Amino acid sequence: MSIKINHLTHVYNPGTAFEKVALDDVTLEIQKGEFIGLIGHTGSGKSTLIQHLNGIISPTSGEILLDGENIHKDKTKLKEVRRRIGLAFQYPEYQLFEMTVYKDVAFGPTNLKLTEEEIHHNVVSALETVGISEEIYEKSPFELSGGQKRRVAIAGVLAMNPEVLILDEPTAGLDPRGRDEILQAIKDLHDKRGITVILVSHSMEDVAKLVDRIIVMHRGKAAMQGTPKEIFSHVEELEQMGLAAPQVSYVFAELKKRGYDVPTDVYTVKEAKEVLLKLVKQVKS
Amino acid sequence: MIRDITIGQYYPAESPIHRLDARVKIVVTFLFIISLFVVNTFIGYVCVTAILGAVIKVSKVPLKFMLKGLKSIVIIILFTAVINLFLTQGEQVIWEFGFLHLTWEGIYMAVKMCVRLVLLIVGSSVLTLTTTPIQLTDGIEYILRPLKRIGVPAHEIAMMMTIALRFIPTLLDETDKIIKAQQARGADFDTGNLMQKAKSMIPILVPLFISAFRRAEELAMAMEARCYHGDEHRTRMNVMHMESRDYRAVVMTAVYLVFVVALRIAGNYLPFMI
Amino acid sequence: MNKEAMKMVKAKDLTYEYVRVLETDHGTKEEKVAALKNVNIEINKGDFVAVLGHNGSGKSTFAKHINALVQPTGGTLWVDDMDTKNDELVWEIRQTAGMVFQNPDNQLVATVVEEDIAFGPENMGVEPKEIRKRVDEALATVRMSEYATHTPSKLSGGQKQRIAIAGVLAMKPKCIVLDEPTAMLDPVGRRDVMETIERLNREEGITMILITHYMDEAVRADKVFVIDDGDLVMQGTPKEIFSQVETLQKYGLDVPQVTEVAYLLRKEGVELPADILTIEEMVGAICQLKSTT
Repeated sequence: MSIKINHLTHVYNPGTAFEKVALDDVTLEIQKGEFIGLIGHTGSGKSTLIQHLNGIISPTSGEILLDGENIHKDKTKLKEVRRRIGLAFQYPEYQLFEMTVYKDVAFGPTNLKLTEEEIHHNVVSALETVGISEEIYEKSPFELSGGQKRRVAIAGVLAMNPEVLILDEPTAGLDPRGRDEILQAIKDLHDKRGITVILVSHSMEDVAKLVDRIIVMHRGKAAMQGTPKEIFSHVEELEQMGLAAPQVSYVFAELKKRGYDVPTDVYTVKEAKEVLLKLVKQVKS
Repeated sequence: MIRDITIGQYYPAESPIHRLDARVKIVVTFLFIISLFVVNTFIGYVCVTAILGAVIKVSKVPLKFMLKGLKSIVIIILFTAVINLFLTQGEQVIWEFGFLHLTWEGIYMAVKMCVRLVLLIVGSSVLTLTTTPIQLTDGIEYILRPLKRIGVPAHEIAMMMTIALRFIPTLLDETDKIIKAQQARGADFDTGNLMQKAKSMIPILVPLFISAFRRAEELAMAMEARCYHGDEHRTRMNVMHMESRDYRAVVMTAVYLVFVVALRIAGNYLPFMI
Repeated sequence: MNKEAMKMVKAKDLTYEYVRVLETDHGTKEEKVAALKNVNIEINKGDFVAVLGHNGSGKSTFAKHINALVQPTGGTLWVDDMDTKNDELVWEIRQTAGMVFQNPDNQLVATVVEEDIAFGPENMGVEPKEIRKRVDEALATVRMSEYATHTPSKLSGGQKQRIAIAGVLAMKPKCIVLDEPTAMLDPVGRRDVMETIERLNREEGITMILITHYMDEAVRADKVFVIDDGDLVMQGTPKEIFSQVETLQKYGLDVPQVTEVAYLLRKEGVELPADILTIEEMVGAICQLKSTT
């Protein structure tokens, strides 16, 4: 399934003193099976953008096409749109409400009026994907650790069997271990289930590790797009937008400045090690 | 959207009314409301309206804002009017149908009650529009202080009001977020019968309550960490003190009250003043 | 000055146990859990220290002890020579060691910024004129003077945290404990808060105790303590701590990317110093390698 965003504009409180243009003529395309990183500082419009994608808010102008069809054309189909495009908000654990983990995850599929059997299948498969084991199913979600709660909440979205999963800051506030668990679960989802993932994040290190393509939002516009290699070689532009590149990108930018013959599109620890090792060996020989 | 609701309708402006001590404003408003029930003649209401109009003019708050408060109680005003119009017993009957009867007395009562209600609401709006929430709660705390001896928790009431005002926008934002999050999970809040609609609120209310309690717990700890221990030995940064303008306002209110009482007595002797 | 007087915080065999009620198939069962086990820590006056640990390691419990919000069940904790178990000293301890919490929304009390900052001194019974002065100074120190009459709910997370810091500053503390103050902030907010913390430590000489799990914040401290499962497992300068990449990873913590790269290169036999923490140090070390060969 492809998502096409055509000239999307959204204005909050139009005509009042609080008028704010959150999205300004954004045109984007997201292909089936892509792993997208959406970055931008607070107020850049990224939250507004993702809420449009599953029809939680409506555009002021422009359109969102899902497989070529405008999602707002037929209001009765909006529920189906929300099923196909799953959205996990920031701090999703705050939406947990049921007595047990199982029941909470079943909330979405139950709303879709699936059969008992389908619901069970979806819930179990979603909880498995996020690494929640069976003995936790009947526990109260409020007894779990922060990282577990977050994964249960994400499973609640997954249980609706979405074709696209949007995650708003899924690692915010977690410690390194909790963060790695969530990111691993998301990576598995993408790799094994082939779900299209849109990851909204402030953490360039997280984005660098996972995504195929980065979209940079700035002042309501899609300011930059490209592979992590392309995006993170533009350290200066990112800084100007109040963003940063992964730490190793800066090392290579600096080495280049000092006259070394190094690539500037290195952004992971693993690659940095390889490149530097080669550089050192060259020097030695 | 929910977050567009503004809480506390303070209208910032530089006016003598804004500068008045909050305690004075609260007491004056209270006396004004009582005075509305003392007045019972047509001329009396004309005078009170004129005086209130003058106060509004001095406060520099546009009349539009004053009348906004009326919107929410339009139903109550209409209801009062209809009840008084048709159910007041009287001799000068104009029209009759079953137990409904329209009399001159009824029309008079209906007009009088509506005018009272409108003046009451507009009069209280003057207070809330010219006083910041914090001044208002401080004022209430001071006024209630003498009642502490008989067990009224004046400080606690004021602190509760302050915290409520502080957290209403936060919780409204939160509600907005939870609604969206549950919508994203296919929740439907619009269709179904009353029972189903009530049930569909559970996924919003439970997280909201849990969040409110979590916030309350954290806030209590943060307040303790900042040495909060009730109002024992507590001082305030902004001490309320009466200035000459406040005393002038008190004197003017006293004159107003004497005037209102005089009108009432005069009304008794001069029936033509209706 | 004697040695004891130089200590802002001193913990001797600090232990905190609580009872957790477990629900089992056969009714409820009580279980004793130790959040802190015989912790011995000394923090010097004027230092900027970071306490690292993953969630649930006990680092937050330690922070609450310094503010006497929690009292030890074993051992002793002194704040500026005051025993936190002494109930009479509670208010003085809380005034000496102020505390900033994680959630910026849940620690601001008033509807106006300056009223909120006044809250602490008001509780302490400070004279109104003096409160005014302290509020203005505190606002200027965190560079938020222009927001004095704003309402906190309209501010960004980073701004709210700076207001929370100002609220503590107005109590004239010798020490500020910050319990994951940046965990809920965006990068800009984090940067502003970290700058404020470092500046207050440098310019005002306030002892800063930063509880965090972000290694990039901890590398800026003078000293780092690592708590794992209630035990104090590591302490030293950031260089000493972060050069032990494997140990840190065992405790569920990160190291800076450059430190990890240097560590991997050393494993391959490249002669790099083990304590590289910053981009500059990394670039410098590589250049050094080249010039020596």
